[in-house]
Amino acid sequence: MSESALEAKAVSITFGGLRAVAEVSFTVPHGSLTALIGPNGAGKTTFFNLVTNLFPPDSGEIMFYGSSLRGRSPAEIAGMGLLRTFQTARVFPGMTALENVLVGAYKETKAGPLQQMLWLPAALREERRLTERATALLDLVGLSVYRDVAATSLPIGAQKLVEVCRAVMARPRLLLLDEPAAGLNDAETAELAALLRAVRDSGITILVVEHNMSLVMDVADQVVVLDLGKLLARGTPREIQGDRRVIEAYLGVEEETA
Amino acid sequence: MYHAAQIIIGGLVQGSVFAIIALGLSLVHRVTGVINLAQGGFCIISALLLYSLEVSYGWPVPLAFIAAVVGTTIFGVALGAATFVPALSRLGNSSMLMLSAGLLTFIGGLALVIWGSQPYAVPPFSGEQPVTILGVRIPSQGIWIAGTAVIIIAGAWFLMAKTSLGKALTACAENPTAARFMGVDVQRLTLFSFGLTAMIGAIGGAVVAPIMSLQFDAGGFFTNSGFVAVAIGGMNSFPGAIAGGLFLGVAEQLAAGYVSSLFANALALGLLLVTLLWRPQGLFFAGRQRRHDVREDQRVYKSIIRFRGRGAMIWALLGLAVLIALPYMVGSGLLSSLVITGILFIAVIGLDVLMGYGGQVSLGQGGFMAIGGYTAAVLATTYGWSPLVGVIAGIVVSLICAMLLSVVTMRLRGAYLALATLTFGLLIDSLTVGLTDITGGPSGLVGIPSFSIGPYVFASQMSVYYLVLGIIVVLLVAFFGALRSSFGRALQAIRADQTAAAALGINVPRHKMAAFSIAAALASLSGSLYAFDFHFLAPEMVSTSRSFEMIAMLVVGGEATLVGGLSGAALITLLPTIFQPFAAYKTLAEGAILVLAFQYMPDGILGSLARLLQRKRTAPKLPAATLAKGEAR
Ligand SMILES: Nc1ncnc2c1ncn2[C@@H]1O[C@H](COP(=O)(O)OP(=O)(O)O)[C@@H](O)[C@H]1O
Ligand SMILES: [Mg+2]
Repeated sequence: MSESALEAKAVSITFGGLRAVAEVSFTVPHGSLTALIGPNGAGKTTFFNLVTNLFPPDSGEIMFYGSSLRGRSPAEIAGMGLLRTFQTARVFPGMTALENVLVGAYKETKAGPLQQMLWLPAALREERRLTERATALLDLVGLSVYRDVAATSLPIGAQKLVEVCRAVMARPRLLLLDEPAAGLNDAETAELAALLRAVRDSGITILVVEHNMSLVMDVADQVVVLDLGKLLARGTPREIQGDRRVIEAYLGVEEETA
Repeated sequence: MYHAAQIIIGGLVQGSVFAIIALGLSLVHRVTGVINLAQGGFCIISALLLYSLEVSYGWPVPLAFIAAVVGTTIFGVALGAATFVPALSRLGNSSMLMLSAGLLTFIGGLALVIWGSQPYAVPPFSGEQPVTILGVRIPSQGIWIAGTAVIIIAGAWFLMAKTSLGKALTACAENPTAARFMGVDVQRLTLFSFGLTAMIGAIGGAVVAPIMSLQFDAGGFFTNSGFVAVAIGGMNSFPGAIAGGLFLGVAEQLAAGYVSSLFANALALGLLLVTLLWRPQGLFFAGRQRRHDVREDQRVYKSIIRFRGRGAMIWALLGLAVLIALPYMVGSGLLSSLVITGILFIAVIGLDVLMGYGGQVSLGQGGFMAIGGYTAAVLATTYGWSPLVGVIAGIVVSLICAMLLSVVTMRLRGAYLALATLTFGLLIDSLTVGLTDITGGPSGLVGIPSFSIGPYVFASQMSVYYLVLGIIVVLLVAFFGALRSSFGRALQAIRADQTAAAALGINVPRHKMAAFSIAAALASLSGSLYAFDFHFLAPEMVSTSRSFEMIAMLVVGGEATLVGGLSGAALITLLPTIFQPFAAYKTLAEGAILVLAFQYMPDGILGSLARLLQRKRTAPKLPAATLAKGEAR
């Protein structure tokens, strides 16, 4: 675990006076499953947006397997093998669940539009192979029966699983998942945990934002805690569970919402 | 110096009209978030009403004016209440835009039925005698126009700034949902603003009537000028609309006065594109930034139609067999209509790739048909090139234009993209009419040879039919191949959500440009085949109204199906042939079909059929079952 998949170096961004992410530095070791936790508004989603360069950080730098992500477009970053999902399910309407997952295979598709137009055997074979793999992924989360159903007609939990499958389909080196378990019922959460473990075991590094602590404790190797944009703590799940500052940060929020 | 002053006065007069229309567009856009293309239609209806009442029935000018405005306003309110307002709560913004395009077509068609296609002229309100102020002669009607503009602008300002009604309208504009919770009747206010803009348009149309040649299809010109004005000035700002209108008017008149009127049209397009690129919020007054409007992203969730497996193959072969046999079963009149159906369908296939799959609305398809058609026809007729080379040259020219245009339009979305392409189409329209030496002008290009490949000449309708059928089969096979695999999925992903698509590594600009180029190339091919088939090409055969017609064909047939457009093309082309009396009502029907299809049949003919069939097959697969499954565990 010496190589780091992702390294944040003092990353900051300010939105009209609000320090949404402030001097955050941490690394995600290659092959790990790191959980990024913190109360609502801590800056977790914003951190993801900075990594994928939806907007650039004010200062600091983010390295992906040793190369800087500065100035690269979101599509370029995806092309390097860094994939993400969104906090609110963003399956593509107008496409079936299977097609949604297949979009993830976009980069690895070798046959260009011209070969597809000519129905070349190689293109057809590739399409069949990708379809099989996408179906297998959907099967892993128990959704293969619904592969030909419009993705948006599925329940929210299933849509989020489809979105995770879509990102996994892209064979990323690093996968960023933003609250994949939000809106999932217990059974779906169990499917998700199984999927996450399977993905990690296949060699894909994962950084996941998650509120469901039992899921985090269950699957994570490392936990990073953000609060009010700042890095509050990092360590193993067991260390974090006992960390006073973390408990306070969370208790504070719970008191507010109670 | 004197000359320049004269031109500038003319420009201000012209600009006052643009400002009036821009004001109306801005008002509806503020309240509903939609650019109402029908706006210009009210101008022309009111102007033609004025003509009938004043010239045909001899009413005094003030009475005829008031009656024309009141009549048009009532018509506008009724139309809005029946279509625009109820649709607003169900359709996303780009569908609303197309709906209003349908309304514009419908209004033009109505004017065609009532007044016919000849141009009319109305005498100036207070005689031909110009007024001289400080040595500059001002046409008397110019004073009427400018005065009316001032009154309308003052009235609109008073309404928005000083009355509680205006405050309620502003509340709707800023946050419809919150306004609804605060007890504002959004539905009624939307209708009110729609009616108000119909009235503003009607007044503008009536007062400008004496300085224009009035024709049923001038609505597009009014809408487009108003839109360019409001886009230049700033979409959500009244002062911006006024400044934009005056600026555009003066710039166009200067261009027309010192260069040529053709250049004036190009200038409008140039100004629009530069503004959209450089300062999308407008050159003059940024206005308040509208909160991000969820309706921008909303689409009607159409059912998903896929043709897969053996069933689809059998249907396709069956359909092909019918199409091969068809020429032997119909008379020669119907056969030539079938040929035209096929030729237009080629352009509709391109539109489907762009709009149905890629989600990019283009109102410039007719422009590319014109580029292809005229390039091929002129090369073959005037210069004696072989038609095949002419067709290819047309495609190349179209592709170059598409590339240049898409450098700008790639960054635009929704209404802005639609209107930039509309402006492009109108520019091409003015070129086909204006470049008389090359295109033959309004009377058209005659003596175009038949299409030929090497020594084989496609002289008979029968041979052209099979040529077109062959091209269509090749195109469908090829595009089915590409659209069922990664290329088509990438386009559909972009249509749905550009951010999520980019996050998966899809190169969004490149795909948009590819789709745009495909649409342009196929429109160009269609335009040149049209010319070779007719042996004649006139501007109105490949104009902006053709662009609207092709959108109607696609929507009625069924978007994102590739073959759906064929049923739409057949319906719209064949009906007037089969029922001759229907021909005069063609434009009217196209508009009505477009409006009705958007409101009641979002899947189109093919989609509705496919859904009926699919429902039978896949009924047991209800997605709700996942929930049940999850809870059962
Ligand atoms: N684009 C933005 N513009 C302005 N403020 C933003 C933007 N994105 C996030 N914020 C603010 O930054 C803070 C962190 O938000 P976010 O990253 O979504 O938190 P989390 O995902 O941890 O719940 C919040 O206060 C939020 O309002
Ligand atoms: Mg978040």
